[in-house]
Amino acid sequence: MNNRSLKTVAAPVPERAGAGLKPKHYQAIIDEQPDIGWFEVHPENYMGRGGPALRYLERIRADYPFSLHSVGTSLGSYLPLDKEHLKSLKVLVDRFEPGLVSEHLSWSHGYEWYTHDLMPLVYNEQTLRHVVEHIEQVQEFLGRTILIENPSTYLQFKDNEIPEHIFYVEAAKRSGAGLLLDINNVFVSCGNHGWSVDEYISVVPRELVGEIHLAGHSIQELDGATLRVDDHGSPVCQEVWQLYENYINSNGALPTLIEWDSNIPEFNELFREVRFAEAFLRAKDESYHEAAV
Amino acid sequence: MSHIMKPLSEIQQMFCDGLRSSSPPAQALLDEIVDDGHQLQRFNVYRNNFIVLNGDALADMYPVIKRLIGEQAFRVLATAYVREHPPMARTLLLYGEQFADFIAAVTELSGLPYLVDMARLEFAWTAAYHAEDASPLTQQQIAGLSPDALENLHLQPHPSMHSIASDYPLYRIWSANQSDGADETISLDQGVSHIVVIRPNVEVEVREVSAGAFRFLQRLARGDAIGDAYTQATEVEPEFDLQNYFARHLFDGTFCSL
Repeated sequence: MNNRSLKTVAAPVPERAGAGLKPKHYQAIIDEQPDIGWFEVHPENYMGRGGPALRYLERIRADYPFSLHSVGTSLGSYLPLDKEHLKSLKVLVDRFEPGLVSEHLSWSHGYEWYTHDLMPLVYNEQTLRHVVEHIEQVQEFLGRTILIENPSTYLQFKDNEIPEHIFYVEAAKRSGAGLLLDINNVFVSCGNHGWSVDEYISVVPRELVGEIHLAGHSIQELDGATLRVDDHGSPVCQEVWQLYENYINSNGALPTLIEWDSNIPEFNELFREVRFAEAFLRAKDESYHEAAV
Repeated sequence: MSHIMKPLSEIQQMFCDGLRSSSPPAQALLDEIVDDGHQLQRFNVYRNNFIVLNGDALADMYPVIKRLIGEQAFRVLATAYVREHPPMARTLLLYGEQFADFIAAVTELSGLPYLVDMARLEFAWTAAYHAEDASPLTQQQIAGLSPDALENLHLQPHPSMHSIASDYPLYRIWSANQSDGADETISLDQGVSHIVVIRPNVEVEVREVSAGAFRFLQRLARGDAIGDAYTQATEVEPEFDLQNYFARHLFDGTFCSL
């Protein structure tokens, strides 16, 4: 069957490696039709009224399943959710029929303006109730469950009463959402706060995880403090690949995204990272087969 | 001493104040952060990210301005802009709308007077890129119209159209800065420029047009009929050749379906 005819059929995101979709790569993807399982899209970049961006998205969607990964819902703001933004999100969900929809455990809206970056939450019962209510509102509005992603954090508030990983899991459990486990973010947050990566990952229930994220980060020296900063501007580091391999080996294959959002390379370099992740997923697949034999 | 828990709104507002401020964050905010001796550095990761991420969006929208004043000066300008005009929309697609006015008020840039118009042109490019789609006017739609009916027709330019008039040779400066090619010397007294930015089909086009065509399109966009718009056009350019203009652009997507 011609792929094009699947366009209006909702396509689930397969348990394969996918890539974050970047305008710089539109043409290469259309021309080369790379063997990639799926693409992830930031819906906020496609909330214009029309034009080439939406046309490219439609063209690429005809050949690949999508995941919509929102950055602007601001689940953790004390302010109410923005109905107009939710409407724009729903328009894209209805039009592109993504297999997965996700958002971050963070906030970006504190006054009438927007930070457009993911700000840290105070991890206590007050915030948790608030976040859960917002997740429920989003899910009700979209008519589907979403995945919640663990953040990269650089500081902890004195008002924190719940460990980040418990807060993250609890937000999903109470709201009925799933989890997007960003292994790079776990590594970054744990590195910045001296937490145990193994403990963080071990409390995340496998049955709630619907997607994995992998990305590169940088190490920054800031006046005597060494911090890992999640800038998505380089290849995935060795330690994160190792954590990923361990995770897949113990938990089985999951849709896995390579994110690359700054210093964006040529498509082939991103594709190489995607194939690297795919190799782990295939290896896992083969070991299943061997076990079955 | 025990710490008194603050409402979420208070913490988030203090946090936003700190992100936007050009001076170090208030002690009250740092007092909310777990004390490991690096509270300031930790907060500054967020502050830097806020400035850099939104500054990157500006750099994407204004590549020619960045080329003309250099990467470093652009960063300084972008940082000041982000602080003065933080993003007011949920998306960054059209972030930077007030950049032209902002540049106009920077006295250090008064030696490059065409920058303000260039910023308008570059904003128009991105606005045209994301503007709504429209079907083009076709020959069939006007085939049966009498000359009188044509004159009274309200023809609408594509909704992506923006018009920018400049006292400087803006189109030549813009064109010369589209690639890292050979340097071209452009003298600022090489005349005025009338530019139309439009996305008639798939791609955004930047067109230099005559003063008459410029006025003609502006009038049509405001709702004038073809006849009235033409009269207006000939006032600024008596020799404006409408037939020639239509021969090139009537059915190329410049005008919308009736």
